[in-house]
Amino acid sequence: MAVCTGCSLLCEDIEVALKTGAIEKAKNLCRKGQGHFQALFSDRTVPSVEGGETSLDQAIEKAANILMNAKDPLLYGWSNSSLEAQKVGIELAKKLEAKIDDTSSFCQGQLLERVLKGELPSCTLDDVRNFADVSVFWGADPSNSHPRHLSRFSYYPRGSKRQKGYEEERNCVVIDVRKSSTAKLCSDYFRIPPGGDAEFAEAIIAILDGKMPRFGDKKRMIGLASIFKKADFGAIFPGLGLVYSLVQKMEIFENLVARLNDVSNYKVVPMVGHYNMRGFNELMLDETGYINQISFKNGVHHGSENSVTMAAKSSDACLVVGSDPLSALPFVIARSLAKSQLVVIDPRRSLTTDAAKVVIPSAMSGLESGGKAVRMDGVRISFEPIFESNLLSDEEILTRIMEAI
Amino acid sequence: MGIDLRIITFRDIFQYEAGKKSRFSPEFQNLSAQIIMDKDDMVQLGLKDGQNVCLENEMSKIVVKAIQTDDEPHPGLAFMTNSPWSNQLVKDNINDRIIPDFKAILVQASASNESVTNLAELLERLRH
Amino acid sequence: MVSAMEIYQLLPQAACKECGYVSCMALAVALLSREKKLEDCPSLFDPKYADKLNKLKELLAPLEQASETGLIIHDEKCFGCANCVVACPVNVANDPTGSAIGLGPKSDKVILVIENGVVRCLNPNECRRFGPNRILCNACTATCPSKAIEFV
Repeated sequence: MAVCTGCSLLCEDIEVALKTGAIEKAKNLCRKGQGHFQALFSDRTVPSVEGGETSLDQAIEKAANILMNAKDPLLYGWSNSSLEAQKVGIELAKKLEAKIDDTSSFCQGQLLERVLKGELPSCTLDDVRNFADVSVFWGADPSNSHPRHLSRFSYYPRGSKRQKGYEEERNCVVIDVRKSSTAKLCSDYFRIPPGGDAEFAEAIIAILDGKMPRFGDKKRMIGLASIFKKADFGAIFPGLGLVYSLVQKMEIFENLVARLNDVSNYKVVPMVGHYNMRGFNELMLDETGYINQISFKNGVHHGSENSVTMAAKSSDACLVVGSDPLSALPFVIARSLAKSQLVVIDPRRSLTTDAAKVVIPSAMSGLESGGKAVRMDGVRISFEPIFESNLLSDEEILTRIMEAI
Repeated sequence: MGIDLRIITFRDIFQYEAGKKSRFSPEFQNLSAQIIMDKDDMVQLGLKDGQNVCLENEMSKIVVKAIQTDDEPHPGLAFMTNSPWSNQLVKDNINDRIIPDFKAILVQASASNESVTNLAELLERLRH
Repeated sequence: MVSAMEIYQLLPQAACKECGYVSCMALAVALLSREKKLEDCPSLFDPKYADKLNKLKELLAPLEQASETGLIIHDEKCFGCANCVVACPVNVANDPTGSAIGLGPKSDKVILVIENGVVRCLNPNECRRFGPNRILCNACTATCPSKAIEFV
């Protein structure tokens, strides 16, 4: 059995039969996971400096050189690396007195921080499977982002307290601005206008307080509040739709969760995207008291100026590990990164590796190198490499950069 | 004549799969350089399913393929996957919000005879 | 999805009854359920119907891939999410420690499995839609996010 590091569900029941240079047959991988595994065989990186192929040693030496000489380096990425690599990365940031940030900054960071600090009640996905009778996907479309979420945990499987079929024993609620693939499957879909999340939450709170809702179809809203009240165990899965909509009004969501817990038992599991984003956030919290956006210059400083979206413009050098910010971030931020002294550790070619001064190829984490990671719900999962490879892991590359500095 | 649209980014498993295979593949471009639009909005712009539409705001200008939605009507709203194409149009003016407006991209849309903006051109823009 | 009406419109509509049915519509339904073949309509092979025959062959081609239960899988639409694998009542009954609880199947008596990122049908004879006591179970199609499974 192999573990799929294609998303933060870290499915552990993957069976792969190999032949030379290809996968002969893979069982239980979803389309997304299959794409992740197939990525082994295309667009692999080679060590390079200034666009010219070099030896691995030369690339590592040049990377160390750039980072050592930078006045204000940023170390970014991390969500696609093992806990072991992340630990070395944080040590490297300390040594360089660098800024360090990960994808959570513009992803699930706001919610995950509250979960990790115990401000939002959470549970494991196994608890969801065994006990939940209401699953709420809010601004999330797991069918596309985490394809096996519904079948492994949140809607379709049998669990210790959910022995009957999903039609009888579970409700699935989707709140979204569009009828997503998941909305088509759920038992109750609520369409909201963009930015309407706060009003939706307030309307449910109002009903729970015995008032009339001022938002949406009153009858349906009251019906939903009634589903919420009757639940034995509810799980809320907020996606980026909710996070981006509430940004600085997250307390409204916290109030709703608190109110729901007055009437029943509700847990929140943020829909973390990358396979080990939560792992990095946990390590950072232990180390600094914050989950991301840290500068180690003269101590430990936290703040939005250290987020990748801000620091990309101010930093003179950037180390990117296992991430493609030039694809995923707004163009102006991507262009700042492209113009900085950019060092990239990545198994595969991307817009970011193409723009980098130094590219260091790494083993694909979970496929060619082993380690540990933290699933979206906090469960630690170990994985072994399933393909033989001479490539160094992120951890080994980062250790060598550390030694060179 | 153009119309104002709010673009919301979303995740699509097929676009993700294409990007995993190769960021530089035609499949990734085809599935990224497209916008899902409301039927009436398309009629207003004189667009048929699959025709090209120009999206422009103060950040940038790109040409992508317009795809007619199979959802309920959503005039004024349109959907794109998160990709180097949609990111051309996302404001960097994030101030203390940190999170860029990936799901609130305001643009002017108009019918276009130009070809779809390709990845090579986006890469060129990154260098300048 | 092909409809009986589409098939009917391409048939000779001569009411010759050579196929054994009273009308071409009845034959269209039989063709759709694969109880009859195009060869059962001799008139159709008259050269004047050549165009219609070709169109019919095209139209009915996907049906040939259908299993005995009429199940067709559209690989290109499948997410590999395994909702169908986990919701299929036969999978649940035959595989209580695997697909029933959301994991990959552990029994070889299951009908639906995920291979190479898409769903595959094994053991179609176990499907509730098969055999004389068949029922119109739709657990797999109802749980599919992308209409990747259909019955014809």
